[in-house]
Amino acid sequence: MKKKVLALLFTVVLLSSCIAVKEYKKIYLNDPDMKLAAHQNERFEGNFQVYREGASGANGGKTGGGCGCN
Amino acid sequence: MKRIVIIVLTLFAVSQFVSAQISDSSLVYKKRVLESTEIDLLMSLYNQDGSHSPVNGGLGTEKLTNGTPTIVLSIPLNANDVLTIDAGISAYTSASSSNINPFWSAPSYYKNAGLTNITSASRGGGGNVITAPTGPITPTTYNTIGTPWLASTGASKSDILKAVHADYSHSTDSRNFIWGSNLSYSKEFDYTSYGFGGNVTRLFNDKNTEIGFKGTAFLDKWKPIYPTELREYKDYGVNFQSSGYFKGVKVYNQSGIASTSYLPSGFKEWDQTGRNSYTLSFFLSQILTPKFQAALFFDLVIQEGMLSTPYQRMYFSDKPNYYIGAISDIPNYTSPTNHRVYQLADAIEVLPNSRYKLPIGARMSYYLNEWFVLKGFYRYYIDNWGLKAHTFNVDLPVRFSQSFSLTPSYRFYLQNQIDYFAPFETHLSTEQYYTSDYDLSKFNSQQYSLALNYTDIFSKFRILSLGFKNANLKFSHYNRSDGLTANILSFGIKFVANGK
Repeated sequence: MKKKVLALLFTVVLLSSCIAVKEYKKIYLNDPDMKLAAHQNERFEGNFQVYREGASGANGGKTGGGCGCN
Repeated sequence: MKRIVIIVLTLFAVSQFVSAQISDSSLVYKKRVLESTEIDLLMSLYNQDGSHSPVNGGLGTEKLTNGTPTIVLSIPLNANDVLTIDAGISAYTSASSSNINPFWSAPSYYKNAGLTNITSASRGGGGNVITAPTGPITPTTYNTIGTPWLASTGASKSDILKAVHADYSHSTDSRNFIWGSNLSYSKEFDYTSYGFGGNVTRLFNDKNTEIGFKGTAFLDKWKPIYPTELREYKDYGVNFQSSGYFKGVKVYNQSGIASTSYLPSGFKEWDQTGRNSYTLSFFLSQILTPKFQAALFFDLVIQEGMLSTPYQRMYFSDKPNYYIGAISDIPNYTSPTNHRVYQLADAIEVLPNSRYKLPIGARMSYYLNEWFVLKGFYRYYIDNWGLKAHTFNVDLPVRFSQSFSLTPSYRFYLQNQIDYFAPFETHLSTEQYYTSDYDLSKFNSQQYSLALNYTDIFSKFRILSLGFKNANLKFSHYNRSDGLTANILSFGIKFVANGK
């Protein structure tokens, strides 16, 4: 567990040390297709995957609430 | 549903009024977190089929259809605060759930099958022995039958889940710190869920780095519905064949001989019906280059309470088998051609009353060129029920113009089984925990998707005071290695109020 925490902290430090991209250079990053989140309507897909599979979470989606039993 | 619609429309009207007041009285211009109220209209249509229904102990039809109309309203309360209301329903019909009560009166079964006047077949031997009928069907000719391979007409064949979620978020003037809170409620016939939570997000390094924490709690409650034969056993004990629903109905053993020995003594009602879920989430997103960004997600989920589903039947290998229906179909019970006999349950699924889940995921998106964007996702999952899983997903948006893009996607998922899973009739009654739910078995799945996205940057197309902003249409086909297949079509369209 300690190793995992250290690896996570190392990743945080590593990533935060990257060169900052200025706002006016974010034209590609601001493209709608570059979003790191899913489209609103893709939530339904995430819901059925939570119901039909044993794993869930770490995806910004549903992790509890509702029985998911049909 | 009417109430939800009225509430949503009222909030929309109020937001328009408040927004107008604020914009009239603002003396100093400050860019708002959300310029105008946004409305998302969402819809999905889902269907699935499979042959491992957990309601029948791991076999039988899993046909299911589901429709989910939903509206999401994002309202700027002022320059810094946004309220989001998300309301919708999920209406489903499920062959699997319908078989909580799988028993038909034979006349209605044949009537539904269109067999109302059969002239060429042998007559049944009386009692529950159902063979193809001769002559007009009458209520006295046949008795009770059932099958795990067809949907029943039971009350549980369909239901509507109503859900509403409210989220409030506040951004500081620098836009480098955001906090928020949320409330949620959902209700279906046998399950009610209350949720609440809070979140904080910090941006720094010229908004190149973002770190967030979120905590959520769901306090849920079951209204347990048990399989019909177990419910009757609970109500009438050993006399259940001479009282209540099964009065006068014959039960047969594996040899097809009428018996009164069916005693599901392994069945126990749940006396604690709450289910609580607590989630702590952490995320870190980082811009790595002007064309590349990535994010890490980490959740800790703790669930406690009734984590079993009360109507999922169990059949033990060390208990004798008993049936209701046509004895001629007993040897053929596990075949989809069996349409006339149903095996009575030994018990219901029992799973531990606590579960700890640890998923960790990573996302990335890379701008290849003006035509292509590459997006990836990976997740590793582990829990204390013995489940480990890997999920991979790749999207490749192809951009045809400033407005249109087409996104093909592929998703691969792999899991082992939990410690408490075994297929139909292979568990022993001496085990402490048991389930035959194939959602928790060992399998892999593949999903192929195609999405069409349209963005109207300047909201040129308008309906009344609403400007069209974007639309997304997506179709996915899902294959699970145990034979379950599913299709989902989802659609979303966003409008912005007073959009120009």
